Amino acid sequence: MNNVVTTHGLTKHYGRIRAVNDLTLDIPEKSVFGILGPNGSGKTTTLGMLLDVINPTSGTYSWFGNFSKKENRQKIGSILETPSFYPYLSALDNLKIIAEIKGIGYENIGEVLKITGLYDRRFSSFRTYSLGMKQRLALASALLCDPLVMILDEPTNGLDPRGIAEIRELIRKIAGQGKTIILASHLLDEVQKVCTHFAVLNKGRLMYSGLVNETHHDELQLEISSDKNSELFTLLKTFPDIKKVEISGEMLVITLPGSYAISDLSRFVFENGFVITHLVAMKKSLESQFLEILNEKA
Amino acid sequence: MKRLIHIELLKIKSNASFWILVSLHIGIILLVVLSGKVFLHSLSINGENISNMVDPDSIPLYQFPDIWHNITYVASFLKFILAIYMIISITSEISYDTLRQNIMNGMSRTDFIISKLFLIVWLALGSALFIFFTGLIIGIISTPDLQFHDMIKYSGFIPAYFLQLTAYLIFALLIGLLIKKTGLAMGLLFLYTLIVEPIIVFRVKTDWIKGLFPNRAINNLIHMPFGKYALREVQDYVAFKEVIIVLVYMALFIYCIYLLLKKRDL
Ligand SMILES: Nc1ncnc2c1ncn2[C@@H]1O[C@H](COP(=O)(O)OP(=O)(O)OP(=O)(O)O)[C@@H](O)[C@H]1O
Ligand SMILES: [Mg+2]
Repeated sequence: MNNVVTTHGLTKHYGRIRAVNDLTLDIPEKSVFGILGPNGSGKTTTLGMLLDVINPTSGTYSWFGNFSKKENRQKIGSILETPSFYPYLSALDNLKIIAEIKGIGYENIGEVLKITGLYDRRFSSFRTYSLGMKQRLALASALLCDPLVMILDEPTNGLDPRGIAEIRELIRKIAGQGKTIILASHLLDEVQKVCTHFAVLNKGRLMYSGLVNETHHDELQLEISSDKNSELFTLLKTFPDIKKVEISGEMLVITLPGSYAISDLSRFVFENGFVITHLVAMKKSLESQFLEILNEKA
Repeated sequence: MKRLIHIELLKIKSNASFWILVSLHIGIILLVVLSGKVFLHSLSINGENISNMVDPDSIPLYQFPDIWHNITYVASFLKFILAIYMIISITSEISYDTLRQNIMNGMSRTDFIISKLFLIVWLALGSALFIFFTGLIIGIISTPDLQFHDMIKYSGFIPAYFLQLTAYLIFALLIGLLIKKTGLAMGLLFLYTLIVEPIIVFRVKTDWIKGLFPNRAINNLIHMPFGKYALREVQDYVAFKEVIIVLVYMALFIYCIYLLLKKRDL
């Protein structure tokens, strides 16, 4: 598979702060790539460098094997943190400016305004928009050029639950058209629902980069513990439906197919003479994985 | 290129500060030029030595060919109004992050500079044309004996005015980009133009060195014309050497703008 963007040793220092530190990362074509990390871990800085608005201290990156030419950016729809538009201009005029910059016609403008639910307010000046509407306009602008790649930094910031769900659908739809999406977000749940790949940054360093499918949502993770954990561990390894068993502190963490009935497992354990002292179904496996990654290497 | 022009047009189309400042620029020029009669009158009252030599009413302020030199000289004082607009234009692009957004969307930094230079050239050209037509009409009305060669003599001050305004607006663009904050940038522009540089220039003894300071150089394109009505000798032409100095400054300013934008994180 080809990469849409590759970075090599990308580094940004702000004085003594290392916002991004020696980042080498490939983002494959047609992936939905989540960038995770705590506040201040360098997500926005990384995306800013990829979009040529922050000068790297050192390192290189290349879009479509083509380095940093403006033509590359014309094919990228992007939102970086807060929506930025000319406040005194209407949504329509703002999008016209973007169309001119991207070297395309005005014919998509109506459609992207409809997709983002702003069509009725297209003549209102940006200044008069609510936070969520501003965010929607930012999305509209990112969609405008029918981009090959979309870069979304916290795209659901300020949106209502319906807006968040709409964006999730939109991301799925766009990804379904064979586009690449790079998504920086705190909302692990969201990332897990839509992403195929993810990377974790911490203090500017890349901690992990890989597929999401190991932690896919059609799997069930259970935390279990009993009076004799080590024996239980050996037993569970023989249980046919279990995909994985791991010891995590006082607990065993087991992965089962999503459709599995927990009662069957507990009966099996009980019939083999164990007393279960703790049994919890864990919903967000990506979150636990994320926290694990941060803890492991910290 | 066409797209860059169109982008700037879209930006100014419904921008209140643009229309207010442009109207102010035009309005004040008209006001000043038309109230010149009053000025003329006050000359006859206050300037005793002048009134001893010439009759103020016969001073051909508004007649061809003098009108070109006079009107461009007076109008050049009002370039600060357009400079205010230039500063607002660039500092608001910075504070609203639209400069950053433009780059992210696929403008190059050079494109951005070119689009702002287009705006400057448009403003300067518009203002110069306005001065030209105003001068033409006033000249035709005021000159008793219209001669074609009188009408075109001194009309070289119109392109000089255009050049002067362009250079000053580029200077304002540089200051705005450097300082980023609207109020502070305006303050510094005026502090430098009206106080700092004049004081330095005043202390410099040698004339040709005086002419090397940027604002003095820009202003030198159109020397003060009125002395001639007191029979003093004035420079009533645009000096080639002085044009070159201004062109060099313009190139220098644009280069600084380019460096600033290239080096800076947006
Ligand atoms: N202009 C700047 N000057 C100095 N330090 C900066 C600047 N921009 C970012 N930083 C620092 O760089 C680090 C990374 O910031 P960045 O905005 O990339 O984080 P982030 O991962 O996007 O965080 P968040 O999740 O809060 O959006 C932070 O420590 C931040 O303080
Ligand atoms: Mg961020």
